[in-house]
Amino acid sequence: MIRFENVGKTYPNGTPALKDINLDIEKGEFVFLVGASGSGKTTFLRLLLREELPDSGRILEAGRDIGELPKWRVPYLRRNIGCVFQDFRLLPTKTVYENVAFALEVIGRPRSTVESQVPQILELVGLSDKSNNLPSELSSGEQQRVAVARAFVNRPLILLADEPTGNLDPANSEIIMSLLERINRTGTTVVMATHDKALVDRMRRRVIVLDKGEMVRDQVRGVYGFDEGANR
Amino acid sequence: MRVYFRYAFRETLSNLWRNRMMTLAAVLTVAVSLSLVGSALLLKQSAAQASVAWQTGTRVTVWMSPTASQGEVDAVRTQLANSPLVHRCVFFDQARDYKEFLASLPPSETNVLTAADMPTSFRCEPTIPADAFIVESTFKNQPGVYAVTAPEQQIRQMNHAIRILQIVFLALAGVLLMSATVLILNTIRMAIFARRREVSVMKLVGATNWFIRIPFITEGFIQGLLGSLVAALAVTALHTWYPLHNEFALNNVALLGTNAVVIGVGVLIGSVGSAIAIRRFLDV
Repeated sequence: MIRFENVGKTYPNGTPALKDINLDIEKGEFVFLVGASGSGKTTFLRLLLREELPDSGRILEAGRDIGELPKWRVPYLRRNIGCVFQDFRLLPTKTVYENVAFALEVIGRPRSTVESQVPQILELVGLSDKSNNLPSELSSGEQQRVAVARAFVNRPLILLADEPTGNLDPANSEIIMSLLERINRTGTTVVMATHDKALVDRMRRRVIVLDKGEMVRDQVRGVYGFDEGANR
Repeated sequence: MRVYFRYAFRETLSNLWRNRMMTLAAVLTVAVSLSLVGSALLLKQSAAQASVAWQTGTRVTVWMSPTASQGEVDAVRTQLANSPLVHRCVFFDQARDYKEFLASLPPSETNVLTAADMPTSFRCEPTIPADAFIVESTFKNQPGVYAVTAPEQQIRQMNHAIRILQIVFLALAGVLLMSATVLILNTIRMAIFARRREVSVMKLVGATNWFIRIPFITEGFIQGLLGSLVAALAVTALHTWYPLHNEFALNNVALLGTNAVVIGVGVLIGSVGSAIAIRRFLDV
């Protein structure tokens, strides 16, 4: 599903963000991306979204080199990738229902699809009774569930999560994790960048460790494996 | 597609409403500048039409000096008759000139003069109206000739004045149109800024670039259109309520043409303003 071939990326100020990354992520895998701040996790995710292009090497998604995609095709690539962020990124003036529906409307899905899909996905994340509330009326755990619903409502092939539990308490983190697991079980590839050591250790999924832009470990059923701040 | 039109329509209206003061400023500036453009166009057409009307009846008048001898008068008469530039001439004696003089001025001005004070004159029709000027310069220095007048001269002066007026109108309109474009650009920029969250979510979930851009373009388009409609109304009102002298009066086809140009320019600057704003501020 995702393949990195000798991918390197250096930012204009000269700091290398990623160095010679090679990896394969199969369809339906659940992968943790761990590493200290500045280790290249976010760059990794931005490359997958083609918000950035690698300076060297190439990235394949579903067998296609996304670097060769013409610019106008990029939106269609992104329709196959759902995204969840630490700061939720919900629209404050729209209700829960409208926030999720917005993701379908702006890619031109007909109203009938919107009307059948949105309630279904809100049911999945357990927020059916809050569909007419504004995000400001929800707890942060609930807001993140709305964000997950929005990311998944179009049934993407890949779900990217950039520290989705970073702003949540352990109980809410737990809810989000079990949601991501359920999504993963439907066959969606999940790539999650995280700092949450306990969570990674407990889940026993594949762990890719980045350190200063280099991939230092790729472990099936792995653990977090280093102390935050100790920085190996 | 239907979903999209509904979406674009809703977004455009809410953008316009959200920035209503800026929208009003932009629309009014477009309206004022395009009213000037429209008036300048009407003026130009009126002037062109009137000068054609005047030229068809062009007369050159050769005024003989009151002291001219009969020999000098006869010499001028013969030359006029033989000149290929002159189609035909009629001689006005003192009595006839005096009658014309009485008819054209109020009595308070005329009672100081008698027929004996009047010069005699030749009223000539040039073969080609535009040659009136050459006739004038040929006979101006003949012995016994006091002056040669041709309406051509006045027409030319009039046209000159009208042209200057027109340049002033168009220059003003040009400056105003530029500021209208900048105002539209700025409203769109504010709209983009107000909707940056939406735009970033749209990019994230894979909305196409045009899907994101079009509501902003329609917004500029509508501002230009509204402004130009107001201007078209103003131009029509000018045409209807300030009817000009017959020679100047334009028909409705000319008015429609002018309004079409006004609306076209309005729509164009609206679209250009928003296109620039999108290129510079909407990073998609």
